Amino acid sequence: MTSEVAARVTHATKVYGSGLTEVRALDDVSAGFARGRFTAIMGPSGSGKSTLLHCVAGLDVLTSGEVHIGEVRLSDLDEKALTLLRREKVGFVFQAFNLLPTLTASENITLPIDIAGRSVDDAWFRQVVDVMGLGDRLNHKPSELSGGQQQRVAAARALASRPEIVFADEPTGNLDSTSGAEVLRFMRRAVDDFGQTIVMVTHDPVAAAQADRIVFLADGRRVDEMEGPTVDRILERMKSLGG
Amino acid sequence: MLKLSWKGVLAHKGRLALTALAIVLGVAFVSGAYVFTDSLKAAFDTLFRQELEVDLVVRAETEFDFALEVGSIPETLLDDVEGVAGVASAVPFVQGYAQLIGPDGEPIGGNGPPTFGFSWVEGAEEVSPLELRFGRPPSGPGEIVVDAFSAEANGFSVGDRVQVIVVNGTDTFEIVGVVGFGDADNLLGATITAFDLETAQEVLGFPDAVTQISIVVDEEADRDTVAAAIEAILPEGAEVITGETEIAEGQEQVDEGVGFFNNVLLAFALTAVFVGGFIILNTFRIIVGQRTRELAMLRAVGATGGQVTRMVVVESLIVGLAASLLGIATGIGLAVTLEALFGALGFGFPDGPLTVRARTIVVAMLVGVGFTVVFAALPAFKASRVPPVAAMRDVAGSGPKSLRGRIIGGLVVLTVGAVLLLVGLFGGSSNALALTGAGAAITFIGVSIVAPLFARAFTRLVGRDRSWGIMEVSYGLMIPALGAAVVAGVLFWAGPVGPIAAALVFVAGAAFNLREAWRDRATFRAVGRITRENAMRQPRRMASTASALTIGVALVSLIAILAASAKAGITEAIGNEVLADFQVEASGFGDPTQTGTSPDLLADLRELPEVGAASTFRLSLWRDPETLDEDFLIGVDEFLDRMVRLEMQGGSFDALGDRTVLLFSDFAEDRGLSPGDPFRMEFPTGQVEDFEVAGIYGAELFGTDVMISMSTFEEFYTTRLGRMIMIEVAAGLEPVEARPAIEAVVDRYPNVQLNDQEEYVERIGGQVDAILNVITGLLAMAIVIALLGITNTMALSIMERKREIGLLRAVGMTRRQVRRMIRWEALLIAGFGAVIGVVVGIGFGVAVVEAIGSGLVLRIPVTSLVVYVVAAAVGGVVASILPGRRGASMNVLDAIAYE
Repeated sequence: MTSEVAARVTHATKVYGSGLTEVRALDDVSAGFARGRFTAIMGPSGSGKSTLLHCVAGLDVLTSGEVHIGEVRLSDLDEKALTLLRREKVGFVFQAFNLLPTLTASENITLPIDIAGRSVDDAWFRQVVDVMGLGDRLNHKPSELSGGQQQRVAAARALASRPEIVFADEPTGNLDSTSGAEVLRFMRRAVDDFGQTIVMVTHDPVAAAQADRIVFLADGRRVDEMEGPTVDRILERMKSLGG
Repeated sequence: MLKLSWKGVLAHKGRLALTALAIVLGVAFVSGAYVFTDSLKAAFDTLFRQELEVDLVVRAETEFDFALEVGSIPETLLDDVEGVAGVASAVPFVQGYAQLIGPDGEPIGGNGPPTFGFSWVEGAEEVSPLELRFGRPPSGPGEIVVDAFSAEANGFSVGDRVQVIVVNGTDTFEIVGVVGFGDADNLLGATITAFDLETAQEVLGFPDAVTQISIVVDEEADRDTVAAAIEAILPEGAEVITGETEIAEGQEQVDEGVGFFNNVLLAFALTAVFVGGFIILNTFRIIVGQRTRELAMLRAVGATGGQVTRMVVVESLIVGLAASLLGIATGIGLAVTLEALFGALGFGFPDGPLTVRARTIVVAMLVGVGFTVVFAALPAFKASRVPPVAAMRDVAGSGPKSLRGRIIGGLVVLTVGAVLLLVGLFGGSSNALALTGAGAAITFIGVSIVAPLFARAFTRLVGRDRSWGIMEVSYGLMIPALGAAVVAGVLFWAGPVGPIAAALVFVAGAAFNLREAWRDRATFRAVGRITRENAMRQPRRMASTASALTIGVALVSLIAILAASAKAGITEAIGNEVLADFQVEASGFGDPTQTGTSPDLLADLRELPEVGAASTFRLSLWRDPETLDEDFLIGVDEFLDRMVRLEMQGGSFDALGDRTVLLFSDFAEDRGLSPGDPFRMEFPTGQVEDFEVAGIYGAELFGTDVMISMSTFEEFYTTRLGRMIMIEVAAGLEPVEARPAIEAVVDRYPNVQLNDQEEYVERIGGQVDAILNVITGLLAMAIVIALLGITNTMALSIMERKREIGLLRAVGMTRRQVRRMIRWEALLIAGFGAVIGVVVGIGFGVAVVEAIGSGLVLRIPVTSLVVYVVAAAVGGVVASILPGRRGASMNVLDAIAYE
């Protein structure tokens, strides 16, 4: 386990609206996400966990504070550089609508590499597909895959370009518990086998229990963290957060 | 439910706005045509009414509906008429051909509107439409007054000496005054030169004759009695009519001309509206598709299918109404602009009120609302078929439709369209035009039904990996080229700065674009694949969007094929039939009675030693006394058989003389006539004469069925101007050697020009091209509407694919790549529409050329057709700019946000 940080936020504040309608989605949050570890961000609805993820991933911009991915400070980047950063260094798994319906599983997986104009590393591709258990599904269109399989394709896509960090936003939110567990197991393997850094937002304690470490948010503030979580400890902690 | 419809319109106002724009343009075209032509008619009515002070008119009798020339009556009739009891005053008038020559030595006018020579009506201005603006009336030989527009446009002022072309050559006159035609500066572009009566008679070619006597009756006398008294003393060939009749005839002529113009404009307007219909269909189809859940929810809470249909129909009604109202307003603006434009171009209109008749509003509303509702009906009906359960499902349940049904349905519609079209073209029905038009419209609908079957194949064929690079390079050069053109246009007055700036814009733009394309080249394959899949995803949508463009491109292609075939036919006829070395013809498009070759020119040419022979022919009208069909004939001079290979098929040219005719082979065959048979003709004077067929000719060059000798022609017609003089150079001379001498003579007659065979072919080709350009310009409207349709469909598709685009952006697609993706898809759609359009256009072209037959030789102008496809593709790219920007600027977070 290394203390090197793949991404970090310092004094992150995100404010929507102004005056009476002002909402502080993030209020002076600082956190680091260690390389090669699986970090979960938890908190009740409206705690700002998704906002934090979007800002760290370069999809959204902080009102104040800083985000670093590796040594790159996101506020130094223009829109185009941010896009290129996303495509080179970041992988995404969303809750829903993760895949392009017109492309096959294999085409979806290589999509970020293809639109970057790079060539696919075949050995790595096979390894990722293998770990995600998608070997026999590569030529299927998303409509021909189950929800769990679709989410595994999305995870494979996130890994395929060897990003520095993968962000997953409620990856099991739309799945039944069996499929959800399956997807999480594969994500866990990506961390263990490839040393992948993963940051996942979830409100599901079972999902969060797969992580190495949990950061708890409430009302836009960082309220706690937990190393080596178990489902029971998480539930207990969540209860006290009012989630 | 009405409330829901209203809300539906408001909720989709962005999407509906572009659709509405298509209707607005079409309706504007319709109402603009009506308002413009109605205003024109009203203006003429006002003008004609000014003349009401004339009670009776004596003139040469004419039986024909359409006269090519003004008949004349003996001048001596004036005294006779004045002698009739009850006649207060009788004013003689002469009307003929006179053309002014501008300061640049070129004749003024003569490109359509006539160039009138009038006699100035002395001392009885109330019976003349001419009003002296300044100066004084002409008096004596050598003096003229001219119309205000010609004077202003050419900087003429009182005291200037100008040259005027008249029947017997060119003469110099002094301008002593400037006149208006009523309130207008001229008469619809016709130029006016007026002389005193005696001079007019001499120079306009009516010695001792006049074309009209205007009579004012004593106040206490009864007009009908006076008319009867005059009638009694008139010789054969002259008639007396009331002033009202004369005005009515004039109005009828104007109405006919204006009506024809109106019909032409309306035909183009309807084409535009029809194209708009496809866009309406498409928009509503997409909107209904996007609202499947909402509609299903309505069904789930108890709305019947009928209610859902009605809701969508009412939505289309609201859109149609709003767009039609806007369209009518735009149309009125269009009419005003058109009038101003015509005025600026020298087609002066008499002053008159802007006429917006109830009929205009009703027709425009019916067209606008009708088309919208009819084309929205199908999607509306589909909306009622949305099952309530669809509200619960995630994706709209528009599964693949039965292919067989589409093929069968499409083929049935296509067959009906083609049959109607062919019956219209070949059936010889009296409603040929309507049948052909309906056939074409139905064929287009059939094509749009079948087209989705080809959309995938086309996409696969054109959307290849290597195509994208070519597209990007073309795009990278094209947009800076357009920019450079704009810069050059804006700076064209600034001397060398313009071209330099334009070149800089082009080089900088092209360099930037090509560099970006080069950098991204490795990504083309992936982006192209996504584009291809997107395009193939909904072949129906792609095809119906493309179909709008298909119509415009097909019609433009048809016109191009017709023009090319006409040119080929003319070239062939000239090549095969013309033996003459040179032709002399009036320049420009002239009214055949108002400009032509002077008999003096012919005489001058015949005197030249370099000329072996010269011949001419004149054109006028005859009619069949039984069927009353009017048609052209030509009066031909000696030596014509040396100028034109007449392809005699019986009889001989030399047999043509007094009371004999030569007939065109097809015409003779239709009537079963052969040499020696009798042939009866009626002339505009009302005389019916028996002729004998002296021979049958097969030459197609003249385009007329009947040929008479020049002496016979002069017996029945007053026209002295020839259509053309043909020249054979003297034996032993090369045409080039003879040309300078001939040219020197021809140059003395500024309204005509000398051409050798090659130049002649080119000149006719130029005239065909001019017509082609006008029609293509009018059809451009339909193409613009179709391109709006592409913009609309792309914008709607992007909204549908918001999440996909968001996802692509999240995983690293740059904005440039998003724009590129959308551009390529638009290109595929536009290319598809254009290619089908060219194919359909070729089909139509072949059919029409075959139907017309004589005079045309089928030619497919490949270059033009390729240019049309490329232009349509360029249009598609331009149409994709806005949707592309929109797609690229979409907020990633919004796009991927959960419900």
